[in-house]
Amino acid sequence: MNMWDRAQQALMESMSRLLSQVASLLPGIVALIVALLISALVAWILAVVLRRSLIGIRFDEHASRWGFSSLAEWSPSKSPTLLVTRVVSWLIILFGFLMGIASFDATLTSQLARSMFAYLPNVLGAVVVLLAGNIIARFIARSVLIGSVNMNLQYARLLAVGVKWLVNVLAVAMALEQLRIGGGIVNLAFGILFGGIVFALALAVGLGSKELVSRSLEREAAKNAGNGVEEPFRHL
Amino acid sequence: METESIPQAARERIDRIATADLMVGVLADHGGAASAMVRQALEKLPPVPRTVIIQANGIGGADGKDGGKAADAAEASEDQAVFVVPWTLLEPDKSIAPVENMANAYQTVLAAGDKLGVQAACVIGSDLQTVTPQWIARLVQPVLQLGFDLVTPCYAHGRFEGLLNNCLISPLARALYGARIQNPMGPDLGISRRLFQRIIAPEQGAKLAANRTHALASMAPTAVCSGFKICQAHVGVRLYPPIDWTNLSSLLVQVLGPVFGDLERSAACWQKPRESVPIPSFGERMALSEDKGLVDVGRMLELFRLGARDLLEVWGLVLPPTTLFELKKISSLPQEQFRLPDELWAHTVYDFALGHRLRTINRDHLLRALTPLYLGWVASYALEMQNATVRTAEQRFERLCLAFETAKPYLVSRWRWPDRFNP
Repeated sequence: MNMWDRAQQALMESMSRLLSQVASLLPGIVALIVALLISALVAWILAVVLRRSLIGIRFDEHASRWGFSSLAEWSPSKSPTLLVTRVVSWLIILFGFLMGIASFDATLTSQLARSMFAYLPNVLGAVVVLLAGNIIARFIARSVLIGSVNMNLQYARLLAVGVKWLVNVLAVAMALEQLRIGGGIVNLAFGILFGGIVFALALAVGLGSKELVSRSLEREAAKNAGNGVEEPFRHL
Repeated sequence: METESIPQAARERIDRIATADLMVGVLADHGGAASAMVRQALEKLPPVPRTVIIQANGIGGADGKDGGKAADAAEASEDQAVFVVPWTLLEPDKSIAPVENMANAYQTVLAAGDKLGVQAACVIGSDLQTVTPQWIARLVQPVLQLGFDLVTPCYAHGRFEGLLNNCLISPLARALYGARIQNPMGPDLGISRRLFQRIIAPEQGAKLAANRTHALASMAPTAVCSGFKICQAHVGVRLYPPIDWTNLSSLLVQVLGPVFGDLERSAACWQKPRESVPIPSFGERMALSEDKGLVDVGRMLELFRLGARDLLEVWGLVLPPTTLFELKKISSLPQEQFRLPDELWAHTVYDFALGHRLRTINRDHLLRALTPLYLGWVASYALEMQNATVRTAEQRFERLCLAFETAKPYLVSRWRWPDRFNP
């Protein structure tokens, strides 16, 4: 056997090995495609059923009434129903994808699944922190707004928006910490941002808005003094 | 029954007295001055009923620790028909809201009355400075001698006194329950045994606790809805506490929370009456000296305008767009033209009552957000009435009550179909 024959044989063997490996992958690819198609179909059917059910029970109105009005702002087309159906659909497609991957190599899938499941609590924790932070921020902002208006403070809205963003920034930093994204950078950035906001407010009050604040305080003091005249109004 | 809330010393004293026909509870602390006044009042009610007076003695604490000594002193000085139970009814704890404190005191006084088996109870919640023996007699007499179940007070007040009652509580109660009661929440009331038993009954008590309502807010609605006999007595001038601007919104929360909560409880009852009817009145109306003169409404107007600028988003959660548009338009009027129409005010109150029921937003937020609107109406009323007489002011309140009655179908429709009916 000359050298050419040997090379040809080696080439044929490698080709047959490659083809056999490709052939061994083919069922897996087909299985992945089938799994994706089936999961997409199931996801679509479930999404339709779920959407109709949620519309039937007026989920959007109830969500708003239960105090989850912020959910609408996070949702596509301002509809929490759509948000829920899309989340469910994508979860089913993800499940189908994992099933399809398992048809290639069980060990690879188990490793992937293990790492994904290990990370899942962090994701859920971050979502909960973000949602809770958003709800708390809105609640506190509304309390500050109503309280400030009732105290006749002209900058009530500014105060409320400031409080809302402070709580939101805090919630985002906590969520990123939970996701283990950024690590020290997030802490540092949050510290700089939070400190910066407080410092900027202090400067604004101390320098830029000195006149405004002093005028406001003087006006309040004058009101409380009542110009020495007792008001005739008695409420209860 | 809430007899556990009665201090030990007072409870022992009540046990020794055993029975009585009448009980008079005085909430304000005037160092025992109340008993003399009640004795004078009883002389107007021959034959003198066997009476128990519960009053703060200036010695005993709310916990009743020193109440024993005071009780002994009271026991030594009393006659056969009148007994004094020294007991500080209002909790000195400042963390308890004043209105809630008063309602709790009512509840425990009535529980004590039930324990004694009295036929009538009279609770004096006003400051004693203007209370007279005649005042107490007029609240008690219709219950003891004429068979009425609830005697509410009619005070002689100035144009700008009792505003929360006159522009909201009274018109609301009149329109909804169909009885023209001037002061449905007292705070000075004469109550029959069968009515206070209904108020403090365990099943009712459980509901009250669950709904966070109190005896004061439920008294008149319970009496009307249960078919009890109600009347009112012209008692005289009442001393109204001065305005506390920093706590005005808290006051609204304390008063309107239970009132709106009670609407939910008695919804089946108040949806029936189509119009209001007058109730019997006793005593002569007292004429009050006219206090004409300009009033400064600048602060109230400023607060209303600030609310219309910054709270529209919050108001928009409970008020329909037409009302919001009207409010916005009114907020831009100059002071001399500023008027908040009665119809708009009535619709606003009804929308807030519905928002309270549906929990559209946090109830505390909702009621506090009403403060600028309330002050807007008060400012409008004050501008209109600054040169008016007390009589004209009364006619003005009568027109407001009629506006509430006219707007009642709006509330009924929205209450029944909150999702469908939203003009």
